[in-house]
Amino acid sequence: MNMMEVQNLCKVYEGKVAYRALTDINLTIRQGEFVGVMGPSGSGKTTLLNLVSTIDTPTTGNILIGGKDPHSLKINDLARFRRRELGFVFQDFNLLQTLTVEENIVLPLTLDGESVKVMDEKLAIVAKKLGIDHILKKRTYEISGGQAQRAAIARAIIHSPKLLLADEPTGNLDSKSAKDVMETLSTINQKDGTTLMLVTHDAVAASFCNRVIFIKDGQLYNEIHRGESRQVFFQKIIDVLSLLGGNAHDLSTIRV
Amino acid sequence: MTFRQFAFNNVIRNKRIYAGYFLSSAFSVMVFFVYAIFAFHPNLTNESIGSQVAIGLHFAESIIYVFSFIFVLYSMSSFLKTRKKEFGLMVMHGMTNRQLRTMVFLENMLIGFFATIMGIGIGFILAKLLLLIAENLLNLEQSLSFYFPTHALILTFAAFIILFMVISIFTVSVLKGNKLIDLIKGSVKPKAEPKSSVWLSLLAILLIGSGYVVALNVKGAAVSMAMLPVTTVVIIGTYFLFTQLSVYFIKKGKQRKGIFWRKTNMILLSDLDYRMKDNARTFFFVAIVSTVSFSAIGSLVGFKSMMTNIFLDENPFAFEYSSSSSSNHDEHLLILEAALDQENIEYMKVEAVMKDVTLVDPNENTTIVKLSDYNEVAKAAGEKTVQLSKNEAIQVFYSNSLIGSANEDNPSVVLEDNTNLQVVEKVKSVTLPNFTSYFVVEDVLFEQLKGEKQITFLAYDIPNWQETEAIGKMLTKDWSASNQKEFKFTSLAYDMYVMNQGYSAIMFVGLFIGAVFFVAAGSFLYFRLYTDLEEDKKKFSAIMKMGLTEQELTKVITQQLMVLFFVPILVAVVHGGVALTALQRMFGYSLLTESILVLGSFFLIQVVYFLFIRTTYIRNIKSEIL
Repeated sequence: MNMMEVQNLCKVYEGKVAYRALTDINLTIRQGEFVGVMGPSGSGKTTLLNLVSTIDTPTTGNILIGGKDPHSLKINDLARFRRRELGFVFQDFNLLQTLTVEENIVLPLTLDGESVKVMDEKLAIVAKKLGIDHILKKRTYEISGGQAQRAAIARAIIHSPKLLLADEPTGNLDSKSAKDVMETLSTINQKDGTTLMLVTHDAVAASFCNRVIFIKDGQLYNEIHRGESRQVFFQKIIDVLSLLGGNAHDLSTIRV
Repeated sequence: MTFRQFAFNNVIRNKRIYAGYFLSSAFSVMVFFVYAIFAFHPNLTNESIGSQVAIGLHFAESIIYVFSFIFVLYSMSSFLKTRKKEFGLMVMHGMTNRQLRTMVFLENMLIGFFATIMGIGIGFILAKLLLLIAENLLNLEQSLSFYFPTHALILTFAAFIILFMVISIFTVSVLKGNKLIDLIKGSVKPKAEPKSSVWLSLLAILLIGSGYVVALNVKGAAVSMAMLPVTTVVIIGTYFLFTQLSVYFIKKGKQRKGIFWRKTNMILLSDLDYRMKDNARTFFFVAIVSTVSFSAIGSLVGFKSMMTNIFLDENPFAFEYSSSSSSNHDEHLLILEAALDQENIEYMKVEAVMKDVTLVDPNENTTIVKLSDYNEVAKAAGEKTVQLSKNEAIQVFYSNSLIGSANEDNPSVVLEDNTNLQVVEKVKSVTLPNFTSYFVVEDVLFEQLKGEKQITFLAYDIPNWQETEAIGKMLTKDWSASNQKEFKFTSLAYDMYVMNQGYSAIMFVGLFIGAVFFVAAGSFLYFRLYTDLEEDKKKFSAIMKMGLTEQELTKVITQQLMVLFFVPILVAVVHGGVALTALQRMFGYSLLTESILVLGSFFLIQVVYFLFIRTTYIRNIKSEIL
């Protein structure tokens, strides 16, 4: 079953000089897939993610998530759609400073009017899964970046979304934390069968995916699938990136 | 680029960032200047009521100055806070502490200088407008013309240059450049969770409660004695109310997941809690400032309407004329009646004769009035008539809520010829213009009395007495030259006009100061709000991505603003209500209508202000996220 279908997607930013950020993108993600999107700066990765996550609207073309077109929804239904069907992980975590970790995690459920009992149950499960049950009562500035990102992931999956979207989730983390976070996402994908779409610069992070899509100048450039070994996959990613432009070592320091 | 050029360019090229601070400074300069133009106006100080009003006006000017000082200081500190990060960057690149201070000082002086110039400029335009309003409000005969306000100009310019200099020096001296980490983290550094103590929370309740109990229970002269301690206690209590008790309640609310984890409550309450430390001071200041302006305006309005009512109660007749000798008597009455006829004003004339008689003790004398005369006048004045039989008398005394009564107990009056008159009743009345008690006796007895002096009192009852102002004014002026001892003439409409002139001037000052304070309170809230705007934008954009409907966003912001706008005002209304209740005890006159009017109109203005700010704030936030 296709979890997400993108058909002939175009995005033009109006302005004094119109800028075409995406041209005629076609993309399908099946249920349970873990897909990475890579490309040089300005290639349109984040635009694509914003369109899929309904934060931005496409100029032409369709996006179907679970068979439905969220862009045809009214603005309030869209907000509800986001908080029920989608989960987000951001580069800068976007945890609210004024809330504790556990409060941050239950926020999507709270907004949806869930009962405290259900929230507590789900919180316990998700916190255990991500290994953050010992920091639940802490404030967001008392925990490390890796813990903050795992808290953000917990927030993104507590309502069991159909599609989990991650925008450079390792961008602000050191290599150890980045690995932890990617392993967490990978586990969620494999154990819970959650569909994931990941936008990243980081070849190491991308190597955790089943499939990586490359975008260049707003168009699909290439797509590679992972075989058995992550190490081999990582090398293939580096190769494509160097074809895309620039030198291999410009794009990522080799950590593995 | 020299250092001075750097500081200069920093301001000139960053106009937008400085605009808020600049405008609020210019605003206080403008208020002060416009007020000074008014206070120094030659026409106003030359009026007969002038000297007292002028003192009042200049006193108010100093209050406005003190307030401006606090206002500019507050604006500046919140302005500097938003620039912490910038300072950190400069210090990191090798700016010395001394240079940082020099820069901030130069910047502030630059802003202060231009704000003063601009405030005076706008003040000029506004002054003309305000003088026109004052002219209509004060009912002053000579128009308050626009004049070149040399005094006001010099005073304002000097006062504010000094003010900015003092504030700059003060701010600079407390500015710390050596704690780089604080500067760089600036507003990013999360605020510490505010703490609250149960004991201080209880103390807040205790202080305010006891203040209220005392204020509501003291009577009469004790009110003025209790005023200072009660005010102090309530102010301290209010401080703890906002810094301790409110935090305590929010904390309790947060601990209950049933409340805190319900829909948007989580966003609202967590924010309230963390901002409470900053907000508490704003709330406290706004509440106290509003209370002061409520009470001041309330008591002024109350005092004026009390004086007017007493005056109207005591002067039931449009014209009163009394004379002891008849030299001009008939002539005067003819002139008055002719004037009334000419204007087609209907009138009813009543007459009473009063005799000054000596009592059995030759050193004492008293005034006696004939029963039929008294009843006629009392009936015309709408007071109750009295009944008497032979050898009886009625004592009539005068009293009002300001002076109290001249009410001595006389069981009987013994006249010169040893006639003993029994006082059967004591009546309070204001019909006859006599401020000491006098006696009413039967007609037959009255005719037999020989008085040392006989006074004829004439009253003209005119339903439309307001129309007689011109006649009253003309006659009062014409007759003031002649011998005042022989007769006395009063015109209600004209006296009322003179009284209103005096009070209107005081009212104008009071309302002006009250309005300034109120606007100031509003500006404080506005500042508070806009220092949090950027943070709010970031926060809401994060939540919106997670899925928050527009209605929910609007709801959260509205609730947040409602707390900011109405909590301090509500406290101020309650404080003001208690203060006015205490004041009405002191005057012995009900200020209920006036209190409701004043507090109600302030509340209404606040609602309008709230709606306005809410619309712009929500638009501001939405423009960023949607």
